[in-house]
Amino acid sequence: MAKLRLDKLKPLVALGVFLIAWWIMPPVIKSFLKISFTEFQAPSWVVSSYLEDIQGFWARRSHSKIELIEAGRELARKKAYYQYIAQRNESLEAEVDRLESILHMPTRREFRYEVARVVRRDLSAWWQQIIIRKGRDYNIPEGAAVIFSSGVVGRVVEVNAFTSRIELVTSPNFRMAATFETDGRPVIYQGVVQSGFGRATGSVNDAPQDIIANSQAPLKLVSTSLGGTFPPGLTIGTVSWLEPGSTGIFQAGEVTLDERLLSLHEVSVLIPLNPLELNNDVP
Amino acid sequence: MFLDPRILIMFGANALLLYLSLLVNSALSSWSLYLVLLGPMLVLPAIFLRHRSYLLCILLTGLWVDAALPCQFGLLTLGFLTAGACIFQIRFRFRAEHNYHPIILSHSCNLFCIALISIATGFEYLSASSLWIQILITTVLSHGLLTIVAPWFFDLQRLLFELCRLETEPEDFPIL
Repeated sequence: MAKLRLDKLKPLVALGVFLIAWWIMPPVIKSFLKISFTEFQAPSWVVSSYLEDIQGFWARRSHSKIELIEAGRELARKKAYYQYIAQRNESLEAEVDRLESILHMPTRREFRYEVARVVRRDLSAWWQQIIIRKGRDYNIPEGAAVIFSSGVVGRVVEVNAFTSRIELVTSPNFRMAATFETDGRPVIYQGVVQSGFGRATGSVNDAPQDIIANSQAPLKLVSTSLGGTFPPGLTIGTVSWLEPGSTGIFQAGEVTLDERLLSLHEVSVLIPLNPLELNNDVP
Repeated sequence: MFLDPRILIMFGANALLLYLSLLVNSALSSWSLYLVLLGPMLVLPAIFLRHRSYLLCILLTGLWVDAALPCQFGLLTLGFLTAGACIFQIRFRFRAEHNYHPIILSHSCNLFCIALISIATGFEYLSASSLWIQILITTVLSHGLLTIVAPWFFDLQRLLFELCRLETEPEDFPIL
């Protein structure tokens, strides 16, 4: 009879020991391990992001003076336009404040905008996340809303010392309260598993029966203040069709999101100036 | 020696491969394409090193990958240890001085990693056809690229062994 070689079982024994150790290990040690390894590799991502910035800088330096003058002129035009918009915005805000004080309405949540560079994008069948170059060093809170020039990007799910991880609006784990721009009633937006090939989509549920959407006049889905995380009126996407949902009472449909979500370079984190106190505040 | 110094080279090469693959993934995001190139990371440690060194190398690599990817922490460490244990059991059957066997092993391990991530992360969406399409595209792309990346990766590791004047052959067989 062949002699049983116990040394052959070493890897299996090690695997078993690891499994048991991992199972009984306190979460605080696992958390410590994760944070240590994450923080250890974070500088490499931050450095590569800065290198990309330098690369962009040198690429722009290679432009001719004529091109730069043209770009400056275009920028000056846009600046003048935005100055006008800012003035109008100021007067409208003053008007809104006045009306709110007359009607004794509760104060709205105010946010500080923290602009951050995207250092990495992890968009796959399993996860839809990006990493930005700001973390605890800029007081980024977990759960904060993240937006870009075309609307909602997602929510901060993990904050590290110099980086933060953001769950994108395309992720099936992302869910938020929303409304249609032309209708004040709340609906639920949720990310879905992406079908790929550069098309970003989501889903809308609990839409009232009387809302009609078609591809000629798609409905714009915007954020609402109901969740407490996002300010109202931010674009989420457009809805081209709605059909009866699984309950039959409400409608559901597909939300077409901005394709630029898949190639973001810069985003803004909305940091609440007066954070919600869950014991006292009702969102 | 208590621990094989080749651990450092293997772990460093693994970290480099992960970093490069994530950089490529970041660039490919606008086309919704993703690459999983985890298979080659555990092949040479399992074939070349003694058990103690192999275990440390795989454990460090697993934790490193787990911290970098948004999956559940510990999932890939466990996956690497499982796949590594299987290779370690039968490692005397493989020719480590050429790339043929390591490449085949790296493809198998990569497929195992994709299956593991799919089951652990996308289990609740397994009924969604779009998930399967994405996984299929990811698998085909990753394994297509792996035919180029895996030989380069193994040659790089062997070259680093040579440059650092370390042993370029596996430890004595059978298993020690």
